[in-house]
Amino acid sequence: MYINKLNTHIIPIRFEYHAPTSVEGAVELLSKYGEEARLLAGGTDLLVKMKQRLVEPKYIINIKKIKELAGINERKDGIHIGAATKLRTIERSKMIKEKLPVLHEAVISIGSVQIRNMATIGGNLCNASPSADSATALLALDAKARIFGPEGATIIPLEKFFVGPGQTILKPNEIMVEVSSPHLTEDIGTSFMKVGWTSFDIATVNIAVVLKLEGEAVNNCRIALGACAPTPIRTHRAEEFLKGKELTSEVLEEAANIVSEYVRPRAHWRRAPSEYRKAVSKALAMDALTIARKRIEGM
Amino acid sequence: MKIEFTLNGRRRQFDVEPNQLLLNLLREKLYLTGTKYGCGIGECGACTVLLEGEPVLSCLTLAVDVDGREVKTIEGVAKGDNLDVVQEAYLEEAAVQCGFCTPGFILTTEALLRENPDPSEEEIREYLKGNFCRCTGYVNIIKAVKTAASRLRQARNQTSKEQTP
Amino acid sequence: MSSKKAFRVLGKRTIRKDGIAKVTGQEKFSSDIILPNMLYARMLKSPYPHARVKSMDVSGAEEMGAVALTPQEIPDVKFCPRLVSTPEATYKDWKVLSEKPVYVGEPIGAVAAETEEEAQRALEAIKVEYEPLEATFDALDSMKLRQQLHDEILLKDEGIKVKNNVGCHLDITEGDVEKGFGEADVVLERTYRTNRRYQNQLETKSVVVRPEPGGGITVWSTTQSIHNSRLLLHEIFGIPVGKIRVMKVAAGGFFGSSIQVNPVVPVAVALALKSWRPVKMTYTREEDLHDHVSYQMIFNLKLGAKRDGTLTAGQLEAYLDIGGHQIQAYPLLGCVVGWWVSLYKLPHIKYVGKAVYTNKVPSCAFRGYGSPQITWAVENLMDELAEAVGWDPLDFRLKNYIGLGDVFWGQGPTVKCIVQSCGVEEILTKGAEMVDWYHRPRPEEQTGRYRRGIGVGRGFHTSSAGAPVPSAVVDFGGAILKLNEDGTLDYITALMDHGGGTMTAHAKIIAEELCVPLENVNIVQGDTQTTVYDVCTHASRGVYAGGGAALKVARKVKDKLRDYAAKMLDAYPNAVKFRCDRERGQGVIYAEGVEGKELTFEEIASTARYKNWGTIASVESYRQPSCPPHFTGYFVEVEVDTWTGKVKLLRVVAGADIGTVINPELAAAQVHGGFLQGWSMAIIEDTPYDPENGDLMNRGFINNYKIPPPPDLPQLDDFTVFFAHTYEPTGPFGAKGLGEGALNPVAGAASNAICNALGVRFYELPITPIKILRALKEKEVE
Repeated sequence: MYINKLNTHIIPIRFEYHAPTSVEGAVELLSKYGEEARLLAGGTDLLVKMKQRLVEPKYIINIKKIKELAGINERKDGIHIGAATKLRTIERSKMIKEKLPVLHEAVISIGSVQIRNMATIGGNLCNASPSADSATALLALDAKARIFGPEGATIIPLEKFFVGPGQTILKPNEIMVEVSSPHLTEDIGTSFMKVGWTSFDIATVNIAVVLKLEGEAVNNCRIALGACAPTPIRTHRAEEFLKGKELTSEVLEEAANIVSEYVRPRAHWRRAPSEYRKAVSKALAMDALTIARKRIEGM
Repeated sequence: MKIEFTLNGRRRQFDVEPNQLLLNLLREKLYLTGTKYGCGIGECGACTVLLEGEPVLSCLTLAVDVDGREVKTIEGVAKGDNLDVVQEAYLEEAAVQCGFCTPGFILTTEALLRENPDPSEEEIREYLKGNFCRCTGYVNIIKAVKTAASRLRQARNQTSKEQTP
Repeated sequence: MSSKKAFRVLGKRTIRKDGIAKVTGQEKFSSDIILPNMLYARMLKSPYPHARVKSMDVSGAEEMGAVALTPQEIPDVKFCPRLVSTPEATYKDWKVLSEKPVYVGEPIGAVAAETEEEAQRALEAIKVEYEPLEATFDALDSMKLRQQLHDEILLKDEGIKVKNNVGCHLDITEGDVEKGFGEADVVLERTYRTNRRYQNQLETKSVVVRPEPGGGITVWSTTQSIHNSRLLLHEIFGIPVGKIRVMKVAAGGFFGSSIQVNPVVPVAVALALKSWRPVKMTYTREEDLHDHVSYQMIFNLKLGAKRDGTLTAGQLEAYLDIGGHQIQAYPLLGCVVGWWVSLYKLPHIKYVGKAVYTNKVPSCAFRGYGSPQITWAVENLMDELAEAVGWDPLDFRLKNYIGLGDVFWGQGPTVKCIVQSCGVEEILTKGAEMVDWYHRPRPEEQTGRYRRGIGVGRGFHTSSAGAPVPSAVVDFGGAILKLNEDGTLDYITALMDHGGGTMTAHAKIIAEELCVPLENVNIVQGDTQTTVYDVCTHASRGVYAGGGAALKVARKVKDKLRDYAAKMLDAYPNAVKFRCDRERGQGVIYAEGVEGKELTFEEIASTARYKNWGTIASVESYRQPSCPPHFTGYFVEVEVDTWTGKVKLLRVVAGADIGTVINPELAAAQVHGGFLQGWSMAIIEDTPYDPENGDLMNRGFINNYKIPPPPDLPQLDDFTVFFAHTYEPTGPFGAKGLGEGALNPVAGAASNAICNALGVRFYELPITPIKILRALKEKEVE
């Protein structure tokens, strides 16, 4: 039974290993092997799951040799990040720190230096944990995902990418190729916040705010919330509420209350009950909005 | 599968199964037991090795994935009994107790100081997050990193002074 | 009181002797040992919290070429894996492999194969039929359960029946508590429940066994006692004691988890004897989490005090949740009452202690051996009681603490001594000044989101279980010291160094006594064949007891050197003096005032060889005359975010009285490490169970067992450690222990700090953010 199947000393199963050098090659293999294959990026999620016997792929497709899957590119329409880009590369990118600071904040909160030297942004997103920190930040950025399958490429809003806990919209023969974010204009302030039990932990709650003011009033506000629902989500009702309003303390508190209403208890929530997540999502919403506004003023 | 990589400065060749972890290749085939198993799932950093100078977790790295790369383990740091600056600092600051976490910490420290020769205490704490120690409470480890950083900077200044005519 | 003697090496900053091996990765731990022709073993573990094994079919494993081991192949011996107590205090309920497992993870079989992967496959090929039985996960529920986890257990080799799942109990009454409570102005009674912390030592339990020609075995294992390991293997397998060679080997942390011989050891021995090949078994982390855990305790604690600040009586009802088997429950019952009555003066006491079986991982010692738990409870109640009688909590403690001249229970009711050195006043008054104790925040004055608090916790631990008379606890050690021909010395002891620098401390004691450079003392990594008995490295006895043995042999060697030198110098043995000659790197013996009359140790040793006088050496056992407490005190400052419940640690001031400080930096490191374990105990650690399957909620995976990393801890400048100026007359050069005192009062200090910040008190550990928010909400409602 389960306890005797566990052995984190080793990878307790055998598999066939492939390391294609092109996206098409990867998709071909995925089409061939379907559900029995898994993509290997950083390995910090996949190998752990294999050691925990939660997944036992017969075929491993290492995508790190596909050059076009990694890299950060600034284009007119936004910033494009290859799915196999290491989190540490994103962390070290001065451009991302300057132009997408909320993503930078999210990425540096993930794991440790060692983990970020291995893990990739695509892996973090495709693993689709509801608490994935980069997901929360990217959702607030209105990011898009580029997916490649046998029929070619499609681009979808990241909000549609997550379907359930650990589940994405990807078909077995599809691969996420890149994620992109539109540019942020200068009058935008952002903030990413996370509460874990220690500073080396996944999120019990995380939140990302992208805030644009017009004078004193909110022109546009995007608030994404993680670890509070089956997927990371946007809190559209709170965003709607804030439009056109001044960020007084009453408005802030009301918006934060609306954010906390998005907390949807899950049957097997062991980490923290929904009452806790409600309280903390409210606190983080207030903090993040306050900081985002301060950052606009600071500019 | 045949792989070839540079290990502690020397080119090595191996024939491994795809499911062979780098950690076990080092420990069991090469008897380089300085790199440790602490948890197997990336939480403790005891299995840290440097891959092209960057700290990674060998318990979550397939051996086949280091083909063509450069790996450094704790055994590649000192030259015989000639300890390097980081190792000496750890000893002087009493940052070593049971010693099981020490190789991982030393390698992570080497990488930190190469990237950031003058880290603040906050930066040191953040960087070491992924290395777990149950004995020391981290205080003397942080002192050791600071001492090592200061000595390395001094040595660098000395060298550059000597080089400037 | 301190002896202001200027020491030559003691108290000086030195590099630990085993340091180079550790920083270069060359130190071999048990889990690093690889032998030619070695098999890799895997343990078959019970998936049920309570079951009968109806059948076990290992044919699948054997067909793969693996060696399989079933319970029937092991000698039918019931034992206790911990050999520290005398027979009348030793309860035995373990088998090497169980046919009626009582916790998820209990060893019920094993395999060994050429590689770990093959062994894993072989393990999965074993077919077992189980009859699941009713299981219990709470000590209080256990006592009501009709079904006993163990029907019959052994006490001193006689069968006794277990009732109400109580493995053992202990009742102690001194004086008349009713009278005492009657005299009190305030009596408070509270119930406390601790967490079930996991030691989380970084090296998982490991063993390598090599069968030797002639029926012997060589064993490398994670153990705190090589001699007790040997004795237990002899007890189980009947191999003559001298043929069991248990090697001394470095270990990646213990914190009490290998005082007992770990289950992997006898299993690997059986596999090695069956296969006639070396066998290695290293637990995975998830197996390690199923192997051992600390004692979870439930206390009903009652204290009475008068308005003049004196305590009048105390009553303690203690329930120890010991998990599926006893490791040292009975002695622990004695230690819990002992620690309790040794904190503060209680004229009348009543204690009722029960150790209760539950279907959980067996509990074993975790640094402090019950003291972190009871000290947490007492330090909390002392704060409440102080407030109730109108006293400042610190002053209340200063008025009542057990100190100089008082009776101290060093290891339960059978091990007592009188306190002969005490730095409690110094620790508490100096610490109070550093944190401005008397102006600390008041909870009722804080209304904002962030609230600050300062708390104090004080405690102690024994330094060994020595005493003038025998007791229920075996506690003695021994050492060997011999002079080499070049004037260096070989020092051999069975005592283990957990990492605290104990061996270096011994070397320093020897160097100090013999006036040799520290480099001249070699620490030999011995084994059971080349050492005399040392009971175990636990009870913070490494420096006090072990160092005492080192000092004893150093003095004997010194006497012999004196004699030989006198012979060679034509001087009187009782008149020659010793000094350290740094230039020549030698100890030197000289006749004072007489020029030219001096000899180096090297000269004496080589003369002794050429003249066939013999080797200058000493083999001695050493029994410590006392069990002096080392005292600690912690002042902790926290800031609580009342919106998220998260607690930030701002500042720590720690004082320790360890007598003479031998290794100042390593001693401070004990305080740092003990502090983090105590902080972590207070706010986060726990191993909860899943009632649906009886397994650990986290299934043994360590990603759910978090310990605060460096960013969560105070800045270096905000963590102060100081040592009191005391001298223990019964200790080697005045030294006492420190290892466990460094942890014991921390959770109490942390809880008191949080309470000072919030005005809310917690009676259950850990104090998590979830509990904090819940409590604040309830307080709001009131």
